[in-house]
Amino acid sequence: MSYAELCVTTNFTFLTGASHPEEMVTRAAELGLEAIAITDRNSLAGVVRAYAALKALRREADEAAIRIRSQHRIDPCSRQEVGQAAPIARPEAPRLPRLITGCRLVLRDSPVEWLALPCERAGYQRLTRLLTLGKRRAGKGECHLDLADLLEGCAGMILVALPQGRLSGVLGPLQKMQRRFPGHVFLGAAPRYDGSDQAYLRACARLAHRASAPMVAVGDVLMHRAARRQLADVLTCMREHITIDEIGTRALPNAERRLKGHDDMARVFHDHPAALRRTLEIAARCSFCLSELSYEYPDEMSEGETPQARLERLAREGVTRRYPRGDAPERVHALLEKELKLVAELGFAAYFLTVHDIVCYARSRGILCQGRGSAANSILCYLLGITDVGPDQIAMVVERFISKYRGEPPDIDVDFEHERREEVIQWIYERYGRHRAGLCATVIHFRSRAAIREVGKVMGLSQDVTANLSGQIWGMSNGGAEPERIRELGLDPEDRRLAQTIRLIGEIIGFPRHLSQHVGGFVITRGRLDELCAIENAAMEDRTVIEWDKDDIDTLGILKVDILSLGMLTCIRKAFDLLERHASTRMTIDSVPQEDPATYEMLQRADAVGVFQVESRAQMNFLPRMKPATFYDLVIEVAIVRPGPIQGGMVQPYIRRRQGLERPEPFGDALEEVTRRTLGVPLFQEQAMQIAVVGAGFTAEEADHLRRSLASFRRMGTIGAFRDKFIAGMLGNGYSQEVAERCFDQIEGFADYGFPESHAAAFAMLAYVSAWLKCHHPAIFACALLNAQPMGFYAPAQIVRDAREHHVEVRPVCVNASGWDNLLERRADGRLALRLGFRQIKGLREEDAGWIVAARGNGYRDPEAVWLRAGVAPAVLARLAEADAFADMGLTRRDALWQVKAVRGQAPLPLFNDPIDGEAIREPVVELPAMHLGEEVVEDYVSTRLTLRAHPMEILRPAIPDLMPHERLATTPLKQVSVCGLVITRQRPGTSSGVIFLTLEDETGVSNIVVWPRIYEQFRRVVMGGRLLRVRGYLQREGIIVHVIAQQVEDLSPRLSELGHPLDEAVGVTRPETDDAPRPARYPPRARHPREQAKRLFPSRDFH
Amino acid sequence: MWFPRLASDRVLRAHPVDGPFALTLKQNNANRIYCLNAQAERLGLHRGMSVSDARAFCPDLQSRPAEPRSDMRFLHVLRRWATRYCPWVGLEGDSGLVLDITGAAHLFGGEAMMLSDMRQQLARGGVSGRIGLADTRGAAWALARHGEGLAAPGAPMEALGALPVTALRLDEGTVTALQRLGLRSIAELEATARAPLARRFGPEPLLRLDQALGRQPEQITPLAEPPHYGARMTLPEPIGLQGDVMAGAARLLERICDRLKAQEAGARALCLTLRRVDQEAQSVELRLARPLRDPARILPLFERGVSKVEAGYGIDQMRLEATRVEPLPVQQLSHVSTDSRARLDDLVSRLGTRIGLENIRRFLPADSHIPERGFIVAPAAYSRPEGSWVSLRPRPLRLFAPEPIAGSGPRPPQHFRWRRMRLVTARATGPERIAPEWWLEDDNWRSGLRDYWHVETRQGRRLWLFHTPQRPGWFVQGEFA
Repeated sequence: MSYAELCVTTNFTFLTGASHPEEMVTRAAELGLEAIAITDRNSLAGVVRAYAALKALRREADEAAIRIRSQHRIDPCSRQEVGQAAPIARPEAPRLPRLITGCRLVLRDSPVEWLALPCERAGYQRLTRLLTLGKRRAGKGECHLDLADLLEGCAGMILVALPQGRLSGVLGPLQKMQRRFPGHVFLGAAPRYDGSDQAYLRACARLAHRASAPMVAVGDVLMHRAARRQLADVLTCMREHITIDEIGTRALPNAERRLKGHDDMARVFHDHPAALRRTLEIAARCSFCLSELSYEYPDEMSEGETPQARLERLAREGVTRRYPRGDAPERVHALLEKELKLVAELGFAAYFLTVHDIVCYARSRGILCQGRGSAANSILCYLLGITDVGPDQIAMVVERFISKYRGEPPDIDVDFEHERREEVIQWIYERYGRHRAGLCATVIHFRSRAAIREVGKVMGLSQDVTANLSGQIWGMSNGGAEPERIRELGLDPEDRRLAQTIRLIGEIIGFPRHLSQHVGGFVITRGRLDELCAIENAAMEDRTVIEWDKDDIDTLGILKVDILSLGMLTCIRKAFDLLERHASTRMTIDSVPQEDPATYEMLQRADAVGVFQVESRAQMNFLPRMKPATFYDLVIEVAIVRPGPIQGGMVQPYIRRRQGLERPEPFGDALEEVTRRTLGVPLFQEQAMQIAVVGAGFTAEEADHLRRSLASFRRMGTIGAFRDKFIAGMLGNGYSQEVAERCFDQIEGFADYGFPESHAAAFAMLAYVSAWLKCHHPAIFACALLNAQPMGFYAPAQIVRDAREHHVEVRPVCVNASGWDNLLERRADGRLALRLGFRQIKGLREEDAGWIVAARGNGYRDPEAVWLRAGVAPAVLARLAEADAFADMGLTRRDALWQVKAVRGQAPLPLFNDPIDGEAIREPVVELPAMHLGEEVVEDYVSTRLTLRAHPMEILRPAIPDLMPHERLATTPLKQVSVCGLVITRQRPGTSSGVIFLTLEDETGVSNIVVWPRIYEQFRRVVMGGRLLRVRGYLQREGIIVHVIAQQVEDLSPRLSELGHPLDEAVGVTRPETDDAPRPARYPPRARHPREQAKRLFPSRDFH
Repeated sequence: MWFPRLASDRVLRAHPVDGPFALTLKQNNANRIYCLNAQAERLGLHRGMSVSDARAFCPDLQSRPAEPRSDMRFLHVLRRWATRYCPWVGLEGDSGLVLDITGAAHLFGGEAMMLSDMRQQLARGGVSGRIGLADTRGAAWALARHGEGLAAPGAPMEALGALPVTALRLDEGTVTALQRLGLRSIAELEATARAPLARRFGPEPLLRLDQALGRQPEQITPLAEPPHYGARMTLPEPIGLQGDVMAGAARLLERICDRLKAQEAGARALCLTLRRVDQEAQSVELRLARPLRDPARILPLFERGVSKVEAGYGIDQMRLEATRVEPLPVQQLSHVSTDSRARLDDLVSRLGTRIGLENIRRFLPADSHIPERGFIVAPAAYSRPEGSWVSLRPRPLRLFAPEPIAGSGPRPPQHFRWRRMRLVTARATGPERIAPEWWLEDDNWRSGLRDYWHVETRQGRRLWLFHTPQRPGWFVQGEFA
């Protein structure tokens, strides 16, 4: 005998279910269930995961484990998987359960909940439409359905009534439904283990008899094993916003709502065997499977032309456009024919055309965009103008992007300017309609921080303890926290409650929390989208989102186009605009001169602040060693300074070979062809696959499988079989055992983090363009970069500093000259100067800036004129005064602030403001104390986060003895030195085994500090929290890269108060992008002792 | 007079601690430092810091939860102590006192001597205090918090000029704005033209400045003494009859109750002291189940205590004091309201005089699946009946500690012996499965989850049995009516 479970609530019923769908399915297989229905509350979000897990189980036993997808994290930039996940061991089951797709419908106006289990595809389509109806009616994450809706649109599905609590009100709705859908309505009886089960089941049987809706046994499952009861209680607390001690009877009384096998259920239903057998009948009737969802891509016919014909025509037009002199190499034609054939075979023409249309639209509106992704790596995309990376710039591997066997859709992501992407999105909605286009969802999961915070709250830890737990433990792994760290926080890891909390935190990590919209994955269909999946409203206005995330879509073979945003494109477009205005040259990405030696020369000097992708510290260190001289060097540069290649030990061999210290190991002619461009070091995913194909004789799909599964194999320790096959293949192709092993080791080494070449190429293109702009038009580049903020790695202060180092004059914000954006002004000598805009002032709104510019006319005479003419609020005037924006009226910051403070009303009083007729107020002249330099600097930081006056270190240096200015580090003899500066970056890369890298800035330049773990342990707090640090250590130099290996670190942040301003907290605040350290909570100055504050008001005499 | 570490000093006076010490207060779900001692301050801790941060800075920090109400009480104690210097003493915020010593200084040998006496006394009492003495309240405030010491009479600017503008009792925003304008000290503010200042910052800074400099008067309001609920009666002739004593008590009670009524308060505990002719004193204590001020209801309760008093040669003085008083606001009576609550309270009081008020308890409902935790027992006089008794599942009327019986298997035994009775199961319903509350450690639930059965025996008893499948055994835990 067997049993089918028809009512399973997974954790996609957010904050209720306590097990992943994958776990449910695996457990069902273990228990030998006939079928399992995933029925989440008004949602189908979890069904695809269960489907995928079952598919993985059904596949041959080559994969030893099922992965819980929620526990995986993909780095959005490189598409690499990061972090560790705990896979579920494969169950030993003779046969697998069938999956029933379903949903638990919770109604607004009825005490009865309904399980809806579609029988056929038509039923499924009705179910998704029903859900869409309910969801579009309600706000985000809600679903409003009534019994009337059910009566309207529930044909073709099995409906199981689930009485909630008492049975008294059930008969009415049950009979109503039975009359409307005869033969499809059942009464679900779930045992409650409260001592009255037998009586309850008898009552259910009587009710079923009266309503003529047969009784069926359901388990009302909440978790896959009893051990999840604790987590279920914690989730209840989160839902109810209470702590565990207040949960009382809302807790589960026992763990009986777990998935059960036939024997357990038969024991409870011993008097009702038919109810048990009916589960099998229902399971048999529900034959719908998600694989039946055949997806059709929209093929917009244009003038009777088939998509394939149109694609071919556009591609051939592209050849003439890309090669205007008709000198297209033979390879281009050959590749084009091959790709067109492949696309025709797989029927993806419409997909390419859609992307093409979107890109064309963006181009027509002047929105900069660039494609990337595996399919963007094709000649087709180059010819269609989707990408500007040409075929001669990188190796193109068609197999990587579409394979006949894989049956997977191609993947093209298009990056747009981040400020204008919304236009493109709305155009897509408009063009295809909301019933056919929708954004993918992103499942927001509990990550360590949220898990610690929320579980901690439930378990009654106070907020500061949880904040410290999550703050101090840098990236707590899924495994949990180390006892030592906990002890360091002054907590006792042996404490029962704390131990429970930490275990629960470990368990909850990876649980879905809610659905959010994907950054830009669009699903577009030919038919109705709401017959494919449920659509709901997003939190953002004018957005609709489907319930599935991008992996679900991949699993079901649905195509999507990624409409992503990229800050650097905004910057480049703004730079091009400025170039047109000030240099009268119109440029596009593909018209930037290629292979410009000056640009490469600049990059070789690691002069790369602001340059896309290569501005990070690690990249800047790598540039002088790599010495990029061609475009492909940049592609490698972008790909190599990544966790994967670094951990895989690729960097050192590559550098040695590049510097000619070592010879490449080609491993024979065939393999040399594959890795020639990367000097024998496999760097890209494409290369790993090709090595498998060329060297070991794998088929393309086997190679792809190898690439995808290496990571999980290695974690499970079952890589042996693949290794044997690979080495056997290599031996068979005539390679030696040693070569074969070395090859495999190399592939294995970067299996976790391989980077696709197409992404690297797309990024490298932007890196090159931004470097070219920086090299030839530093003022324009700095201006565009500042106007595209927030983006990139560095704060405006560093960008401005870098611009000044490149001899760009930077002018301060001024009410009579600035706009909202930063501007360029022509100097007398014809060069451009950068005028800071109002956007640099903290807390100023664009609208106010607009009014100021609009009413400026021939300029304002005094602050009051700004108020009278532009009509801005007095608070805005105060902001401007604090930013010293009235300086060119001959007013010091304080005088301006003094004048502005006098403006108190919202509108001027006419009588008092007419100096001729009215009684203008004549004020006695007030002599305010003059500001000294230190105060000015702090004020600059307070209002604009940067200063053009003097670096704080310049002022503090005389008071701190024995310091080495940073510019002298490059020339001074190697010895112990002491440096001091503001912290601008603070990073602990995952690849550096606990080493921390700091960048300090003083008035002469920056210095790079390396803090080894031993020293870090000693100076932990200082390294993590300091704003101004003094570091003593040994100098180390390699080429032009200089490091100070820290031995002593001292926090001099209190010295900043010597600048003589009470608000010195504003100086030296790092940006989150450049600072991995957990943020300590800042205390407002008032929390201090008044006496201390009094001290701070009187700076030491040195500065007066 | 300003006590910067009032709260921690109060705790440390009672329990001296060596080393850094802090009081913590839970605010918005975060434990923050509320007050700390000098050692902790020297280690870089400060108020408002979160406790776990402080712990990380200083692992051997000792801490206790703060009790702001006790601190306030302590401040009142200090206020009373300060009346030794002058009669006019008022509170200044929650950690300061203001004394008007006009005309009182000479009693201590001048202002300087008085200050040093204050310092000595405070130091001996283990309270850190900072004292400022000046012509005006504002100036004294500024000196206490920012300078400490004595301003020469008539020339406040000399002492105040160098102090920061924060010393002027201004709000945060004004202070910041003044500081940004460079007006950081009182002297700088004073030197600035007044009209433009008032135009920009309103009257507040000038008012405060004038108050500090004595150009504007400012009053000190001394605090009134709390009302005293006591009455005394001296008799010309000693009395010895119980009725006489009761009559005397009734008169005293009348007086106290009038006073209570005026203050809208009720007595919770009363003490009647009877002094005999031979100077022996005997006292009758009365504790009430709820605050009362109705003499007719209180008086009979004294009867039992008074009857036990040994009158000896007679009683010539009676003293009645309400030792615990709670607020009892005047309420609108309704003609339909039943006084059953009041009668119950009276009963509790009456019984309390015999067996002790603490020994009378009541059951209150609690929210838990665990039968033993489904209710709590609270002293009847100090709790209100609240909540409703909703039982989802039938629960036995009497619940006792589990008593093991012989039995095996998951179903209740057919025959079993319990309390020396031989019982035969007639009907059993169940099981109701209850698992231990995992977040609590409960020794009674060590044996794991329980399957409860409702068993009717042939003998007529209806028992609540449970089985512990994880550590097999059968127990009886309750009996239904």
